[in-house]
Amino acid sequence: MSDVVSPTPEPEGYYPPGDFALWIFIFAELLVFGIFFLAYAFARSANVEMFNASQLQINQLSGAVNTLILITSSYFVVRAVAAIRVDDRKRCVLWLYAAIAMGALFLVVKMVEFYQADAAGIGMETNTFFMFYLSLTFFHFMHVIMAMVILAAIVLKARRGGYSAHDHTGVETGASYWHMIDLLWIILFPLVYVIR
Amino acid sequence: MQQTHASNHRIRPCTWVLLVLLALTLAAWGVGQMKLGGLTVVSAILFSTLLKGQMVVDFFMGLIRVRPFWRILMFSYLFIVIALIWVAYFIGLD
Repeated sequence: MSDVVSPTPEPEGYYPPGDFALWIFIFAELLVFGIFFLAYAFARSANVEMFNASQLQINQLSGAVNTLILITSSYFVVRAVAAIRVDDRKRCVLWLYAAIAMGALFLVVKMVEFYQADAAGIGMETNTFFMFYLSLTFFHFMHVIMAMVILAAIVLKARRGGYSAHDHTGVETGASYWHMIDLLWIILFPLVYVIR
Repeated sequence: MQQTHASNHRIRPCTWVLLVLLALTLAAWGVGQMKLGGLTVVSAILFSTLLKGQMVVDFFMGLIRVRPFWRILMFSYLFIVIALIWVAYFIGLD
């Protein structure tokens, strides 16, 4: 469990880590998902019995496993940023590969879940719960793919020596986006899979 | 040198954060497995969600090290969304 502690203090700043333009995008994404979450919550309040009965049909274990996967992937991204801050490009790339692999694992688990729902004859038209469940999780699924593409682009640049201890804004930008994906799932999991 | 060697075997704060986040997730899953409901249980789950979200914001996103405005902004988002989810749940109890 022991890890190497970064010998240099992490920087303090006026703006969040990474490119500020992406933070505007992050806030916009959070707003859209927030509205989506509240639409689900208030739709549920109007038909609690149907939502509770439908929730029993979804795979709660895969929801929990995916939460653990995304949290762990976020940790790997934190380690990648810490590595580039001490100019350890090789370790940064390895941590990013690990995060991308966890993202891929998330997608596999989610696809199995979608397949199981489809095999059980569940679709968007089944009822309001499944309309929200499928659209919310698919919307998030697409964001995970986009975040993986961003991390892959960072890996390519990092492998070519494009980042250093003094110039790693790109790594921090991709990391911030990845953490947003994790943050959204942290709200989505209890909302859709647990609360009844 | 000795001090450096000792510090190399310290667990990073972000590793502790990871362990707490994993533990809270497993606890929420356990509640779900037991099919527990009600205002107290849901309030506890939502509070732990707020805690988890803020831990990601502070320690993973690293906003604890920048101007407090950004941290407060993210906390406000999490608090408003989670509080409104609680309100919706409360309305559904009637």
